[in-house]
Amino acid sequence: MIFPMFWMLLLSLKEYPERYSNFIHLIISKFTLLNYKDALKSDSFDIYFFNSLLVAVFVTLGNVLFCMMVGYALARKNFKGKAIFTSSILGVLIIPSHVIMIPLYRLMVKLSWINTYWSLILPWVVTPFGIFLVWQYLKSVPIELEEAARIDGASFWKIFFLIIIPVSRPILTVLGIYTFLGNWNSFLFPFLFTNSESYRTLPVGLTFYLGKQSIDWGHLMAGSSISALPIIILFLIFQKQIIKGLIAGSLKE
Amino acid sequence: MKIVNYYRKENINTFLLILPWIVVLFLFWLYPLIYAGYLSLTKYKTLTNQTTFIGFQNYIRMFQDELFWKSLWNTVYFSIITVPVTLIISLILAELVNNKITRFKNFFQSSYFLPSITSLVVISLIFTNLYSPSGYINMLLRYLHIHTSARGFLLSKSTALNSIIAMDIWLSVGYYMVLLLAGMQTISQDLYDNAKLSGANFWQQFIYITIPNLRNTIAFVLMIDLIKSFQVFIEILVMTKGGPLYSTTTMVYYIFENAFNKEDLMGYASAIAYFLFFLLLILSFFQIKLADKK
Repeated sequence: MIFPMFWMLLLSLKEYPERYSNFIHLIISKFTLLNYKDALKSDSFDIYFFNSLLVAVFVTLGNVLFCMMVGYALARKNFKGKAIFTSSILGVLIIPSHVIMIPLYRLMVKLSWINTYWSLILPWVVTPFGIFLVWQYLKSVPIELEEAARIDGASFWKIFFLIIIPVSRPILTVLGIYTFLGNWNSFLFPFLFTNSESYRTLPVGLTFYLGKQSIDWGHLMAGSSISALPIIILFLIFQKQIIKGLIAGSLKE
Repeated sequence: MKIVNYYRKENINTFLLILPWIVVLFLFWLYPLIYAGYLSLTKYKTLTNQTTFIGFQNYIRMFQDELFWKSLWNTVYFSIITVPVTLIISLILAELVNNKITRFKNFFQSSYFLPSITSLVVISLIFTNLYSPSGYINMLLRYLHIHTSARGFLLSKSTALNSIIAMDIWLSVGYYMVLLLAGMQTISQDLYDNAKLSGANFWQQFIYITIPNLRNTIAFVLMIDLIKSFQVFIEILVMTKGGPLYSTTTMVYYIFENAFNKEDLMGYASAIAYFLFFLLLILSFFQIKLADKK
């Protein structure tokens, strides 16, 4: 099952692995870290790595804050049009991203957001998935805590930042990790919205590398490993939260 | 006076809470969705940046376009193979984990789950290598003295799409296994204990207890996998670019190709996108019906 991952690591540690036509020869040939050095130095994977990290971190921070805000409003507040508001969140789930990729691209052109971080971050800073996650979680949190604080004279935002956010920490961890993973791997929109090397994310950079004349599999697999290893490590650490997020996410879809 | 003030402040603050979603909803979801519908009724000239309204011509063109039908067929073919096979394999895997037949349960579960959180681009690249003429699969076939694929599996018309299907099944069984496992955990253990007492083996338990009790989860998994399969794109873009001879051109790939790789066809691509949207809408409608039943 994990053989392909193993294969990726193996090729990334060999110089010109495509030379070998025999599996045994490939395995016993010399191991080297040269591909990683080249990928980072001359193939700009250092820039791609930075971009992936930047996009993933800001989208995650946005989701944690904004989904928290909207989810809190849904769970605790009443406002005009709440029913329509709620169904808009559900409704958006059935809009496939591939249907709106063309108009979204045109919008980014109009806003002059092609080749900027704005187009890679802003549309995804608040997601239906995250809102639902927080909303469901807050339903199970007793309201007394906030009411006691309100009677003590705590302001609206004080309650939100000093009481609601701290009690939601477990669900925000799940949301944060899940969002980070998803956006670290994000490909489609960074692929459409960038055409300059300096804004490409790792997966986008990888596909452009593949497009070159002759494929140097050693470099390409080193780049792939740079993209995959952080996720594998995160997964091993946060396995429980990730699976929890997955189950919660899918059941609400 | 003070009370009125309090409510006004409360309302303003509540509005601020929901503002992020309102902005994103209108700017990045609703506007593009409506704009896509409008674009599908126009012809856009890239060079002069000119948009002309042409009514339903793009849709008429679509129904007369052989390549559109080809891409629709490829998508349907991809889905009707991927979805059932993925379901069956992930069901069996989930049952194995649930029955504790296998030891090292955690290792088993995480190694199956790992591919589904790894970047699809990375997975596609690894398989591009595995499927290549000098790749591992050909190496293995040569070793076993079985007929090899001289041009590589992705460059020959008869194997390209099936190779991508195989990869996609491999990729997603772990994900659905976890979902099915969550459903299985709600089935009462007593049912299994009784069955074991009356001598039922693994397969009998699987067919007579697990499957009937898991009906809703199975239906749900089928639906989300179907909706996902209808949008297969990234693996096509990375591995075959729709070729050879359009044998792997799926609907989303065809939309992408018309919109971004050809001149003046963004409107046409939008028409196909809208057609896909309605197909998926129908599927989602069934999914919501199913969810209500739950």
